[in-house]
Amino acid sequence: MYTYLSKLCNVDANGKFNEVYLNEFIQSIQGMARIEEGGTDFLRIVVLKDNLYNVVEKLLKIKDVYLRTMVSSDERTINGFFKLYYIFGIDTLSKSVIVEVPLTENDLIVPTLVNLVKAVDWYEREAHDLMGIKFAGRNQYRFVLPDDWPTDVYPLRKDYAIQDLMKLYTPKVIERAKEVEAEAVTIIPIGPYHPALHEPEYFELYVRGEKIVDVRYVGFMVHRGIEKLGESMKYNQVPFLAERICGICGFVHSTSYCQAVEQALQIDVPERAQYIRSIVLELERLHSHLLWLGVAFHLLGYDTGFMHSWRIREQVMILAELLTGSRKTYGINIVGGVRRDIDEDKIRKSLEVLKNVEKEFKTFIDIAVSVPQVKARLKGTGILPKSEAHALSLVGPTVRGSGIPRDIRKDYPYAAYRYIHFDVAVQDECDNMARALVRIDEIFESIDILRQLLDKLPKGAIAVESWDPEPHRIGIGSVEAPRGEVIHMVITGIYSPYRWRVRAPTYQNLPAVPIMLREIELADAPITIASIDPCFSCTDRALIINIKTGKIEGVPLYVLSRKKLEAVR
Amino acid sequence: MVQFLKILPISAKIGTVTVMYPYDRPLVTESFRGAIEVDPDKCIGCGACTRICPPKALSFIQEGETLILRYFVGRCIFCGMCADTCPEKAIKITKEFELASDQIYELYSDVQHSLSICRKCGKKFVTRKLMNKVKNLVKELPEELLELCPNCRRIESLLRTTTTR
Repeated sequence: MYTYLSKLCNVDANGKFNEVYLNEFIQSIQGMARIEEGGTDFLRIVVLKDNLYNVVEKLLKIKDVYLRTMVSSDERTINGFFKLYYIFGIDTLSKSVIVEVPLTENDLIVPTLVNLVKAVDWYEREAHDLMGIKFAGRNQYRFVLPDDWPTDVYPLRKDYAIQDLMKLYTPKVIERAKEVEAEAVTIIPIGPYHPALHEPEYFELYVRGEKIVDVRYVGFMVHRGIEKLGESMKYNQVPFLAERICGICGFVHSTSYCQAVEQALQIDVPERAQYIRSIVLELERLHSHLLWLGVAFHLLGYDTGFMHSWRIREQVMILAELLTGSRKTYGINIVGGVRRDIDEDKIRKSLEVLKNVEKEFKTFIDIAVSVPQVKARLKGTGILPKSEAHALSLVGPTVRGSGIPRDIRKDYPYAAYRYIHFDVAVQDECDNMARALVRIDEIFESIDILRQLLDKLPKGAIAVESWDPEPHRIGIGSVEAPRGEVIHMVITGIYSPYRWRVRAPTYQNLPAVPIMLREIELADAPITIASIDPCFSCTDRALIINIKTGKIEGVPLYVLSRKKLEAVR
Repeated sequence: MVQFLKILPISAKIGTVTVMYPYDRPLVTESFRGAIEVDPDKCIGCGACTRICPPKALSFIQEGETLILRYFVGRCIFCGMCADTCPEKAIKITKEFELASDQIYELYSDVQHSLSICRKCGKKFVTRKLMNKVKNLVKELPEELLELCPNCRRIESLLRTTTTR
């Protein structure tokens, strides 16, 4: 076991401290857990549910440990068990620790970890809804599935094929359509959330005067069952489905999925393909951050900034189309490589565009952040303390704005990031301005990364010729998306993934929003919600409940924000 | 000058960037992937594209003795996996993107194939074109075996091997 550990702990000097702790941790769990060979990228520990709490408590003593994701899986057809995989990351060691808990069908009650790891809250509720796992010691209510979903039907269990589920569940709205004799028409609900958008969110803000007292979040209104759908698709069809999880940063999902399958099956991706993936990922970050800045300015009432930001962004969109064939949902990822090559002519054009974008953005952003209203609205609002950011296992610019340098590109290098130099943008102020500045710095950093990648692009193939699936292997793929870490886990099957788990950054970051909102002024709510970079359009409407009068009113968010703008003027 | 007013000369210099669509310059680059076009002469109806198509925009429909390869552009995600997969290079990726219509049938395009019928049981099993392709590729296959569906062929070849002994 120790030879295995030394292989695992092969890290640089700043990891020394943790190495000792990891060894200590392994020793401290003797007799409570079994260590399994899991490759060099992760350490796999099998724990019985009675020891789970103790093992995780010991694991958390290691510095910089955070919960990356939790996966529930129905493996009765493979080994007779239901399984929970708690995936923790140790940033400074660049290693993941998978705590695996097997459960028998007639005893699906697991002790909750909510008191230990705050971030596990949503994961437990989701596992309860979709897989029927019960967590002892916490209250449990329906979270992901709609209210009219039949009880005791757990859709992610292998008992149900997609066709079965479609027969089992008819949404209430169809019944209502029949009542008004409109069953043959398309139903478009328009309400506090919009079904066409990918991350609908609904916040209830409880206010006293202009101060926010408390916040309640309701989500999962358009749970689409993508994981289940992916399990019925072929390996090379899933990247296209994965790309459609997010309309703004889809490429991170297809890359994560491909990397997970590649890790599980030990497929050696050609270096040129890794470079092309990184190039497209950075382009995506560029356009996403420019989009975010534009919308943030719009929310603050600085529409000039919005227009200019999006004008600069347009060049990036056209460049992305030139390199991949599509403005968005690039569709060039497949397991084992990419589908479109970048030639000399395209490299030349890219460098031209980057030069122009850098120049224009530099001039523009210096002006934009000097606008008094913008400064006044961003500084000191939406405070997210470092301790909370750490406790909630947050990711992306949200955590980096609170002084924690967590960046998957550096911590768990993938694609071509190990071949280039870059700095992780961190700000210590913990407010909305800090999160905005992190993104501004990252735009310049991305341009620099792109130049290095285009310059160093190695020769060779862009995809492996062929590969063979081998069932029941585990792989993790993670990517630093513009919004934070995206992580996919795949358990391989014969023709399709046996289990495919997706965790997007907003899932991890949303629980931080109530903390940021508490005790701030109502008018600062829109930019604060937006500061984690969720999908804006979905958050466009809010419900205000006045505690004094009990009056409830629905208003578009930007109107809320404009009121304060007038005041600052 | 106050710093934030510096945006004014920039705006004045750049002017209007909105393109006068559709009268102005083309909107897409040379790499753009739009709707696909299936060449009915080249297509042999093997079905490789229907199996790879992620959104199932390409599908087979059997009507009597005809097998229809149907392309529904309403489901197409313009990934071009079909063109990559097609063994006959019969699928071309066009730059067409103005595809909206108020008539749903305009979103479908069909390629028709006649099916070969099993000499023994009468089952329709494979397109004639694919059959001819196989005939040319595998010369040593006896003609009478080719005209049987996979099931009858298995029985027939088994009978042959046993009777020749």
